[in-house]
Amino acid sequence: MTVKKFLLTFSPEIAGEPITYRMVRDFDLMINILRAEIDEHGGRLMLAFEGSGSQIQKAVRYLEDSGVNVKELKEFIRKDEARCTNCGMCISICPTAAYQMDRKTWKVMFLNEKCIACGMCIDSCPPGAIRLRTQD
Amino acid sequence: MRRTYEEINEKIKKGDAVVMTAEEVIDVVERDGIEKATKEVDVVTTGTFGAMCSSGAFINFGHSEPPIRMGKVLLNEVPAYAGLAAVDAYIGATEPRQDGNAEYGGAHVIEDLISNRPVRLQATSSGTDCYPRKEIDTYISLKTVNQAYMFNPRNAYQNYGVATNSSERTLFTYMGKLLPHYGNATFSSAGQLSPLLKDPKMRTIGIGTRIFLGGAQGYVAWEGTQFKTNAAVKDGVPLSASRTLAVIGDLKQMSSEFIRALSFKNYGVSLAVGLGIPLPILDEDVMKAASVKDDQIFAPVLDYAVQSRTRKPIREVSYADLRTGQIEINGKNVKTSSLSSYAKARQVAEALKKQIASGEFLLTQAVVRLPEERVQVPLDIHSQEEVR
Ligand code: SF4
Ligand code: SF4
Repeated sequence: MTVKKFLLTFSPEIAGEPITYRMVRDFDLMINILRAEIDEHGGRLMLAFEGSGSQIQKAVRYLEDSGVNVKELKEFIRKDEARCTNCGMCISICPTAAYQMDRKTWKVMFLNEKCIACGMCIDSCPPGAIRLRTQD
Repeated sequence: MRRTYEEINEKIKKGDAVVMTAEEVIDVVERDGIEKATKEVDVVTTGTFGAMCSSGAFINFGHSEPPIRMGKVLLNEVPAYAGLAAVDAYIGATEPRQDGNAEYGGAHVIEDLISNRPVRLQATSSGTDCYPRKEIDTYISLKTVNQAYMFNPRNAYQNYGVATNSSERTLFTYMGKLLPHYGNATFSSAGQLSPLLKDPKMRTIGIGTRIFLGGAQGYVAWEGTQFKTNAAVKDGVPLSASRTLAVIGDLKQMSSEFIRALSFKNYGVSLAVGLGIPLPILDEDVMKAASVKDDQIFAPVLDYAVQSRTRKPIREVSYADLRTGQIEINGKNVKTSSLSSYAKARQVAEALKKQIASGEFLLTQAVVRLPEERVQVPLDIHSQEEVR
């Protein structure tokens, strides 16, 4: 089982398609919707797919064939190690415990795989060490 | 067992002094007891690295040709206070950039200077017979200015409250982002490493004490603003915010490792200052206080949704509890965050230890002790008659 995060962008015409339903039914994937924005210009969906690697690949191909722009999100945020003071402010903000204190070194580790891209930590870091990765 | 400053400094000069951090000495005292540990250890170093809003720096820019008496001064567009002699100014850490950009302020100017980055200086004046020039726009760095010294009116708080939020909305405070419904709790003291918690009555810390300030050797200049001695104590340690220090040190000797600009959303800018104080182990009492542990130091939990200076503490927690990452508030498990860096506090104590062990840093006896009794007064609205 692997978990991969994707940003899907699509035009308004496709917005009515039951994409997530088909992901579950046809590709046997577990879907976690991290963010959804849909308006007259179309939609942006941030999803986490959990399933076998090959099924995820097939699902991505299906989405692309349906006219959805699919981009894998390897990293939503990045912690600038030179800027981080290891205070730990981010730790109590993150809902998924993506930041963890090493109680030997008292350094704060960021576990990217736990991040669900909620964005809550970004404005919590006093020295400004947490940066949003631009999704271009 | 007694030791004098002279004896300690003799040992430091010879390279024979036994120096330990306030964290290391805890184990020694647990293993060998106070009496033996006092005999073994000459100096204990402390450290903290946290947001200290009451910080800033005096700068003398040097005279231009023709000279100017600077009236308004901007450093990277952050206003500096220039109501002093012609080319002296004070850049305060929390001053925001004049265009309202809340993410850059005086603290960033200070960090830029320490990091040897050029800083734009713009100054204007109405011009006088002796200072005819009316404006100047140039770049400065720590290499170009005469004096640049940090003078922080309030640093190194002896203990501080823990912040939480009972309200429905997220609060953005100087204690960081506080999530609704007791979503988290933040604290700022370095606890068992924090300088003033390790000499709670300030027997060895007073005016003139040489300290580690931002990587430089600095000094205690005065009692800090809001210094107070009447907080309740447990085992000799104050249970809430108590004494503070005004400190001074040369910006030119500082390092960006130990000075960091901070920006708190919807609050503003502050400066993280790395500050450490060496404690001479003069006798067993000094050692006893210096080896107090996180589970013997307590802080009040305060609800920042209550917007009053007289918040009643919800409960008391130990720093050992805070450091587990979770405390209980009204039956709920609440995640904790430190705002000051324990890793950096350690780094400060270690750096100071190294400087003393290598003979670079000698201890000083305070010239004057700080007040033994001081009450902090509030600001109330008074008529002229009432304050006479
Ligand atoms: S809040 Fe920022 S500086 Fe503090 S530990 Fe997290 S990433 Fe590092
Ligand atoms: S974006 Fe959200 S989930 Fe990811 S690290 Fe920040 S707070 Fe945690």
